[in-house]
Amino acid sequence: MTFLTDSFLSAILLIWTLNHDLLVIVGVSLKMSSISTFAAGLLGVPSGFLIAFSEFRGKRLVITLLNTLLALPTVVVGLFVYAFISRRGIFGTYDLLYTQKAIIIGQIILIVPIITTFTISAVSRIDDRYRKAALTLGANLMQTARVIIREARFAIMAAIVMAFGRVIAEVGISMMLGGNAKGFTRTMTTAMALEYDKGEFVLSVALGIVLLCVSFGVNVFCNYFQGRSRL
Amino acid sequence: MKPILYQLKNLVKAYDGRVVLDLKRLFLEKGKVIGLLGPNGAGKTTLLEILAFLLPPTSGEIWFKQEKVHLNVGKLMKLRRKVVLVQQQPLLFTTTVFKNVEFPLKVRKTPKGKRSRMVDELLDLVDMRSFRDADAHKLSGGQTQRVAIARALACSPEVVLLDEPMSSVDVENQVTLARIIHEISRQRGMSVVFTSHDVVQTSRLADDSIFLLDGKVAKSAYENIFSARIETVTGDHKFCTLPNGLQLKIKSEKTGPIRISIAPGELRLSPNTPKRSENTVKGKIVQLNEERIHVRALVDAEVPLNVLIPKESFNRYDTGIGDDVWVTCPVESIDIF
Repeated sequence: MTFLTDSFLSAILLIWTLNHDLLVIVGVSLKMSSISTFAAGLLGVPSGFLIAFSEFRGKRLVITLLNTLLALPTVVVGLFVYAFISRRGIFGTYDLLYTQKAIIIGQIILIVPIITTFTISAVSRIDDRYRKAALTLGANLMQTARVIIREARFAIMAAIVMAFGRVIAEVGISMMLGGNAKGFTRTMTTAMALEYDKGEFVLSVALGIVLLCVSFGVNVFCNYFQGRSRL
Repeated sequence: MKPILYQLKNLVKAYDGRVVLDLKRLFLEKGKVIGLLGPNGAGKTTLLEILAFLLPPTSGEIWFKQEKVHLNVGKLMKLRRKVVLVQQQPLLFTTTVFKNVEFPLKVRKTPKGKRSRMVDELLDLVDMRSFRDADAHKLSGGQTQRVAIARALACSPEVVLLDEPMSSVDVENQVTLARIIHEISRQRGMSVVFTSHDVVQTSRLADDSIFLLDGKVAKSAYENIFSARIETVTGDHKFCTLPNGLQLKIKSEKTGPIRISIAPGELRLSPNTPKRSENTVKGKIVQLNEERIHVRALVDAEVPLNVLIPKESFNRYDTGIGDDVWVTCPVESIDIF
């Protein structure tokens, strides 16, 4: 029990003194998660919108596949991307393995289905009268799409915030594609795993506290947006 | 005769093979207020959406201002900017009243200064200036309807289509809406087409009325419409039973489920038990309206029955609201669909 209390107090001290190593790890994590969430948003929101509003053969199948991908294990994504970017893979010549880019690619693959699926759900719930109103008021297709996205904005934002929460807490992709290089690809979760292996719990607990705080913040945002979407 | 605004030729709209609109030929004149009358499911909203170029017909031709309409995306955009539809229970965008009315001006790239002035003018027209910065979703039904009309007028359209504008608003708002319809037609020269199932209201507001029933143009406004089932057959006559058990003698070749309409002007109302009791039901007068040469009585006779009685006859009866009366439905007064 003393061990846990000591580790916790040391961890608080580490955060309080803004320990350099801790800040670098948190910075790398936040940077990569933000980039991957932004890129996945750019891909997922328009895709979700298009799937929701277009009629094509196999639409239900696409939605079912996307729903299945919501439960995609991070190690599967890691393995899949590894097969493409390792030296033997078809993108091996780009030297992506063990770089931040590799982690970002993996994380994008992980969360695009989340953002797409929740965008489909958000946009489908928007009353069709909004679309008809925009069209009859003289809007072109792009302006009509903007009206619908605007009406669904809180639910879409909630999906993006949820996706951010997923990538910041994932460990499989960062470990397999990033290689846990200090100051470069070491994220909060991979650093925690490493410190645990070393039997050094102080940094682990400190990172755990930061991660929990980030998760809490993400949830507060998520609840805020979901609440607004129900108004 | 005024110039023709719309011409519809052999226009059919079907959903999954079910025909909801089947119009052989229909002309709508420019600059008039036209009322589209019909019960629920008659195809009024579908027709309005087709007239607004929001819904393509399954087959047939639409001519707008002497030009045949080709339903390709590029041309539709131009046409849609001449016609605007205000939906039944319209939805305002999740923003302020001002931004809602500003939207059509914004998409037409109207300069900002002009936009603000125009929005204020339109809000004045619909008596909603004091709600300029209010949250559009916090308005009442009548206020929402008025803002939706202001938003539609911001398009400066040639045609305004209104889907059941009076259906979900109180009497005060109905009066305001009637004034707005009158004003946009007479002062702004816009053509107005509105739907309703209220014959009295439509005759008051519209220059012309078109009656729709089961997707087709009908010869007159059908009233007292009920679902029924032909069950008992006696000699040449058949009886139809209404859902509440009321049996009426009819003339028809049909069997099974039907819809009937009883012409209000052909019903006979009597304050005493009539000598012939065939197709006679006892009821209570629950509403009386004075029309030009008739009195319209709403009789609660197990089913609500509208009865039109010449004023002279009604004055002789000495009956009023709450009095018991007998209503006779002659076999000829019942139309079968």
